[in-house]
Amino acid sequence: MKSKVKAGTQGFLKKHVLEEGLCTGCGACVSLCPYQVIYHDRTVQLHQCDLEDGKCYAFCPRTKTDLAALRKLLFHQGDLTPEIGAVKGYYFSRSVDPRLRSVAQHGATVSALMELALSEGLIDSAIVSSRDGQFLQNGAVVKDLVDIRNNAKSRFTVSPTGAVFNQLLTRDSGNVGVVATPCQALALAKMRLNATNEYKTKINQLKLVVGLYCGWTLSMEKYTKLLLENNIALESVTGMDIPAGGNILELYTDDGTKSIPFDAVQSCIREACRYCMDSTAEFADVSVGSARFSGKWSDVRKWNQLIVRTEKGRELVELAVRRGVLDVREAPAENLKELKDAAVNKKNNALKNIIEKSGSRNNLLYLDQHDPVVLKYLKKKSLPKRR
Amino acid sequence: MKMALTKDPTNIIITGVGGQGNVMASRVLAGMLVNAGYMVTIGETFGMSQRGGSVMSHLRLSSTSVLSPQIPQGRADIIIALEPVEALRVLVKYGNPDVAVLSNSRMVYPMGVITGDFTYPSLDDIKSMFEKIAAKSWIIDATSVAVDLGNPVLSNIVMIGALAGTSLLPIDRDAFEKEITKSMSVGIRDINLAAFDSGMKML
Amino acid sequence: MSKLLSAAKTKVLFMGNEAIARGALEAGVSVVSGYPGTPSSEVIERLSDVAQERNIYVEWSTNEKVALEVAAAASFSGLRSMCVMKQNGVNVASDFLLHLASSGTRGGIVLVECEDPGALSSVNEGESRYFARMLEIPLLEPANFQEAKDLTLWAFELSEKIRNIVILRSVTRMSHASGNVICGKLPEETRTAQFISDGSFMDPLRGPVVSTPVVIKHNLQQKKLQKAAELFEKSPFNSYAGPTHPELLIITSSACFLYSREAIEMLGLQKRVGILKLSCTWPLPLKLLKKYLRLTEKIMVVEEVLPFLEENIKVAAIGMLKDTGIKTFYGKMDETLPSVGELNPDIVAEALGRIMKVKYKSLPAGYIREIQKVAPKIPPREQTFCPGCPHRASFWNINTALKLDGREGIVCGDIGCYAMASLWPAIGFNTVRTLHSMGSGTGLASGFAKLEAFGQDKPVLTVCGDSTFYHAVIPALINARHNKADITFIVMDNAGTAMTGFQPHPGLDIGAVGEPLPSIEIAAICRAIGAKVAECDPFDLEGTSKMLTSFMAERGSMKVLIMKQPCALSPEKKGKKQYQMKVNEELCLGETCGCNRLCTRIFRCPALTWDRAKKKAVVDEVICAGCGVCYSICPQKAIIRTEAAD
Repeated sequence: MKSKVKAGTQGFLKKHVLEEGLCTGCGACVSLCPYQVIYHDRTVQLHQCDLEDGKCYAFCPRTKTDLAALRKLLFHQGDLTPEIGAVKGYYFSRSVDPRLRSVAQHGATVSALMELALSEGLIDSAIVSSRDGQFLQNGAVVKDLVDIRNNAKSRFTVSPTGAVFNQLLTRDSGNVGVVATPCQALALAKMRLNATNEYKTKINQLKLVVGLYCGWTLSMEKYTKLLLENNIALESVTGMDIPAGGNILELYTDDGTKSIPFDAVQSCIREACRYCMDSTAEFADVSVGSARFSGKWSDVRKWNQLIVRTEKGRELVELAVRRGVLDVREAPAENLKELKDAAVNKKNNALKNIIEKSGSRNNLLYLDQHDPVVLKYLKKKSLPKRR
Repeated sequence: MKMALTKDPTNIIITGVGGQGNVMASRVLAGMLVNAGYMVTIGETFGMSQRGGSVMSHLRLSSTSVLSPQIPQGRADIIIALEPVEALRVLVKYGNPDVAVLSNSRMVYPMGVITGDFTYPSLDDIKSMFEKIAAKSWIIDATSVAVDLGNPVLSNIVMIGALAGTSLLPIDRDAFEKEITKSMSVGIRDINLAAFDSGMKML
Repeated sequence: MSKLLSAAKTKVLFMGNEAIARGALEAGVSVVSGYPGTPSSEVIERLSDVAQERNIYVEWSTNEKVALEVAAAASFSGLRSMCVMKQNGVNVASDFLLHLASSGTRGGIVLVECEDPGALSSVNEGESRYFARMLEIPLLEPANFQEAKDLTLWAFELSEKIRNIVILRSVTRMSHASGNVICGKLPEETRTAQFISDGSFMDPLRGPVVSTPVVIKHNLQQKKLQKAAELFEKSPFNSYAGPTHPELLIITSSACFLYSREAIEMLGLQKRVGILKLSCTWPLPLKLLKKYLRLTEKIMVVEEVLPFLEENIKVAAIGMLKDTGIKTFYGKMDETLPSVGELNPDIVAEALGRIMKVKYKSLPAGYIREIQKVAPKIPPREQTFCPGCPHRASFWNINTALKLDGREGIVCGDIGCYAMASLWPAIGFNTVRTLHSMGSGTGLASGFAKLEAFGQDKPVLTVCGDSTFYHAVIPALINARHNKADITFIVMDNAGTAMTGFQPHPGLDIGAVGEPLPSIEIAAICRAIGAKVAECDPFDLEGTSKMLTSFMAERGSMKVLIMKQPCALSPEKKGKKQYQMKVNEELCLGETCGCNRLCTRIFRCPALTWDRAKKKAVVDEVICAGCGVCYSICPQKAIIRTEAAD
């Protein structure tokens, strides 16, 4: 038997994150050193590193995190909600430009905001997800508008955005904006909180985090296999969506739209997503999702939901309205309630899955059982009994 | 030419690290002694020589007989080391209160030292250890001299020159020249003679 | 002029292997073949130096079995021939050897096998003397350098007298030791090869050379062995030295004779202990043995590695009980001597002292205390890959591919320097999981790959060197392909038999004597088998690991990746640096997060060292080979490479 792995080490990441199926593939632990890389959507430890205070450990969204400290660092405390984090405002939004809407997902709010941030010089580079030549997810650094549009579709698999971000910081990259899933937004927040020395200076170049709503991502390996089983060539897929009702996955391919039963898709969901409590990217400046609601889906199909979380986020959205690139309208209260219910549902599910995995309500893996939000949902009776 | 040995047999160990020309040094030295009429037995451990391991030649000099190619422990009379910790390694196994040590000062770090698992003693520490467990000791920077001559591998011949300078063995410049005339090609004799001379001058 | 051709009566310092080579020259050997292997290789190397001058055909064969067949053909044709190999080579040659010993030979033929007790340069300490007993072949073991020459010459004569092959066994401490040898005469005449096979079936000199009819030929073979035993009784190579009535008789052979003699001197037991040195060790000369067994009650047998002599002497002694009386035997079987590893004068003296109740005069207590203080301060020096070694880069790539692939692939190893990838601390990314005999990595891989039906779901890889490929990999590779074993086969082609000193192999266009020969391409053979084949340069870390990863991902076929880069010590590379390497200390991150000494902790090149005081990596320019690979691994690009001036 090897000796117990020490907290703070790469060995700890291996034992308690990678081997436990907690790795989200966000890439925050990658491009910091030669020891870890992302291959397809897996975090790979090429060699063993014995440092006890590594950045990899400090930045990982699935190592122990002081969420309260993060909320304090990033948000106005009065804005905080237990269900969906800080909310300064909740809207429906869409890009004014119909061409952008046609190439992007839903209302193209993300693309519109990133384009604006770039053109206004608020940021010098934007990191969005993209696909490389082998049609695998990657993070891409983009500097102009065409690039944004080329990478604008959702793909439901994770991109190592964190890795691209880390790599970007090794160069003189100027200010950076990132489009991030909840786990990536959490990793970026942890970087802000935990970075030391020269990395602390570098992290200040992160000027904008546009969060994406996220219910789950697909495991690249399982998803590739599923497509093959359904005779869909991976490289022919140009986009995908889950229409209302949520019982099929629609794939937009060169040969037209194809669909796969959602049950089959569900078996391809990345294990780590089962343990995620965040569906709205709570640690972003603004969070964007599709306006997908039970009743009036078709009305808002071409719109996004938009949560403004920080002052910086508010300024950007206001600027977008002033510059006429974004249509923004107040969202009805019942939509907010529906969103919150869905978010609570995810939190409850995640806690249930975590406790099932750890075998104890006293061991919540990466979560702190004393965190007020965690505690709130932990008290719920629906969770498994103490063993 | 053949002088009576002060000790029969005289046990010599030449040690170093693979690639330092250990085997070559032992062959040249043995050749000089054979030419002088002595019986020489050499035992070599060079299987690992191409892979950075410790290399050792046991050279036994006698007026009368063939001996075991392995010197018994504690029975070395002269130790010539192309690398300082190799001198220590040989000393603790084959040394005795009368042993003489001639060592190169240039360190070649073992992998365990490079990785950080082990510590390499300082040259001062090595010197004081030599003083405690050897009757006589010399440390010379043969490698730098060899590098100045154009090739670090000549440090083995610099060491043989220095050995002649110690007068521990019945060898001299003429004996060296005679031996290399037999065993080395014409083109490299002059540089080897220069290396020998430089070594001899270092003592 | 080669020292091997010294004039008769001159006294020369010969290495054991050179003495054997000289003995063969004095015997007028015409054909010499073998496969390189420490500690045997110098026999053929030295003979190839004088091959043209002495009109000898010298060949590095693809493996030991083929080598023995090549030598046997010469014997069948009336020439004297010699076949040289290391201990485990005899295992490879043994199938042919069994049949050869049965068919009998014509011109003198000697199988020289050099063993490696203690495995100083082997992955086994196999004992091949048992082949002599098992296959009923005479066995000779020289006990000093003069004898190494003389006994080799006599082995040819013996072989011709009994018309069968003779085994001459050496060990590392004979083969790689040197001593004074007085040369004999080199013959002037050369024999002509003539294979006559038109005589009657039973005519040993004119009939076909076959091992049938088996029982009759077997009987004939045993008679030859009896004749050898008779010759052994009178052989001057077996000798006794010591008192007329010793308290203890040491019976020994080979280098152990020198250890035993020294041990007796160390303990001052010259007047109490006698030594019977046997150089003819199978079949045992029984009359001679009886004569000396009578001298005393106590017998100690000193030998390496297994108790071959001891067993045979004990069996013989039982048959002589009536004449010699009951003896007490000391040796390996009663643990007087260790049953593994090599011996030396100290081990023998220690055992002898125990039996004779004599203490060896040890060093002064104060000196021993000083030594005990120094010993723990000496860092160990383990073997590693040399600076510039392509294997380090190759395994780096293999490790990267294994990790990226993520299925914990199994890598089977094989015989060569690259076997070190299974050892600490050669590299910081140990990858090789099996290590056995030549070519067995591929056979094992073929087997692992077929375990899919039983739940083995890891990808299977195997590595081998270029020389090993020709030696024993090809049949295993064909087996894997034919049986649809899904393996990734990696050849680490470093352009020669590097581990044993750059002997050529069939992939090169020269032979043992430097003569031009057609080369046979590994890639072409693999393609002919039907594998998907690619070649790459292991120094291109990114390209190679990417290619290997994609090969591993491809299921259902055999993939072959040939990593080509000559050994850093190869004649074309040695002493020539392609790059000058330097560390930019300002950029070097050292042990901080972001690097943590990747180069010195993981990559592990002996020329990249760690300055503890400065906490920076340093290039040792004296030993740096200038391959430039470390430039590619540094995350900071702090290791700088510049093209070296010519």
